[in-house]
Amino acid sequence: MNEAFENFPHILGEWLKGTGPDSDIVVSTRVRFARNVRGFPFTGRASDAQRSDVLKLCEDALKQVHLDRSVVTLELDKLPELKRDVLVERHLISRELASGEGPRGVTFGRGEMLSIMINEEDHLRLQWIKSGFDVDRAFHALCKVDRALEKTLPYATSDRYGYLTACPTNVGTGMRVSVMVHLPALTLKENIDQVFKAAQRMNHAVRGLYGEGTRAFGDMYQISNQTTLGRSEEQIVEAIKAIVPKILEFERQRRGQLYTEDRSFVEDKVLRSLALLRSARRLNVQEMMSHLSMLRLGVDLGIISDVPVRTLNELFILGQPSHLQESEGRVLPASERDTRRAELVRSRLAAGSN
Amino acid sequence: MDCQCCNKKPARIRICDVEENNIGEQINVCPDCFNLIKRYMFDITKPLMTTPDVIREVQGLLTAGETSLATLPEPGGITPVGKEPVPVCPDCGMSLSEFRARGRFGCPRDYEVFAEHLDPLFERIHDVQPARHQGHLPEKTAGEEVVQRRQTVADLRKRLDAAVAEENYELAARLRDQIAELEAQPKAEERS
Repeated sequence: MNEAFENFPHILGEWLKGTGPDSDIVVSTRVRFARNVRGFPFTGRASDAQRSDVLKLCEDALKQVHLDRSVVTLELDKLPELKRDVLVERHLISRELASGEGPRGVTFGRGEMLSIMINEEDHLRLQWIKSGFDVDRAFHALCKVDRALEKTLPYATSDRYGYLTACPTNVGTGMRVSVMVHLPALTLKENIDQVFKAAQRMNHAVRGLYGEGTRAFGDMYQISNQTTLGRSEEQIVEAIKAIVPKILEFERQRRGQLYTEDRSFVEDKVLRSLALLRSARRLNVQEMMSHLSMLRLGVDLGIISDVPVRTLNELFILGQPSHLQESEGRVLPASERDTRRAELVRSRLAAGSN
Repeated sequence: MDCQCCNKKPARIRICDVEENNIGEQINVCPDCFNLIKRYMFDITKPLMTTPDVIREVQGLLTAGETSLATLPEPGGITPVGKEPVPVCPDCGMSLSEFRARGRFGCPRDYEVFAEHLDPLFERIHDVQPARHQGHLPEKTAGEEVVQRRQTVADLRKRLDAAVAEENYELAARLRDQIAELEAQPKAEERS
């Protein structure tokens, strides 16, 4: 089981492959369900013994549903901090689960599309990630797992309020759809606030790359539904399918505008970023992400042709601090991380390497 | 400078709203008004508001007088004792005021215990009326036997401990066999 984890920094999730519908803008689509086991307090109020019982019950139930032969299960309280942070950077677990306490775990498939957190804020957080804008497939894949689990695991539910969750913002369907989008043109043109406000009016939130309270590095944003009660799962899916294309259309229109009206401006930005990433000897995360963002834009506008989107998506993850340290096998001071990051980026972007 | 809330006492505290990296409007208030503002802001049953909006509400309460001020929760969201019955969950010990302060439920039963206070909260959070679940639900009996078996085993364990403590070894042996039998069941199902 641990072998799969040893390979970790080298095999990246399916969802990073840069394919799927609207992959010029949409990196990934994620659907998650929050579930709790009947007969136990929610994680925040459970004793270590109760958390341990929940962990065991969930692990047993997961074994019974035969998810996939290549499933990896990790007990997080037995895992060093660095490895937990790698999982966070991978979007396989949340920051809360990484920094949490007591018995808790995660199960994920080899393709890293399915991930199941145990003893996060809720006993179970099931999520499915697909590359590109693909809500239907992510939703149906996750439903299958959930329907199999509900046969062996007694979920805490009520007729009135649906799935009962620790936080009142998740009650009902317990379902959150998050679409990770790359919006460099809207950011350059200073239209992002408009997007935020329009989304909010329709009960959807726009957040940074690593979820709630994080900044939008590299012009990456997550669009997700904010309400979970009073609407069916299908209605939540339909709502996000109505909102996201509008944002994509807006971004594409602004990209077109940049290219036709400010051609030298956008070419200059993209090619400077490429030159910088191919030459820099030290790069901090923010710098790397903002220049990768320009490259991604440049690929879409046809300014750059020798860099695949997958490479850019992967660098977004592999250049994160914990991934760098994990591949070095030790904790590195910030200055050394910047040197290693620059090396990694140079080698992956070297002309002819792809 | 006078307090921008009551316009009477000298202002000593400055409040500013921060949104992403921008600092919004800055407002100077006196310590008394600050306390009221804090109590209003941290009341989980109220919608999330900007400071200027909160100040308008507090000013309204100030003109309305003492009785309306008493309806505000204490700082930290704790409702004044005696003003309102405080339901407490028999399963996890969570009280309504603690739930309001934390913003998290303690266990599934809290949803029943606090039922009459939840609809307005849910209607606001989820922007929906009525606050009723519309989606999928598993069958009621799904997974039930797992829970029952677990509870039975837990009960038997307690009785076993008691039997051992009383040196009633005959009973202890019987209980031990029953536990072993119940715990073997899931494996038997797997084989079939």
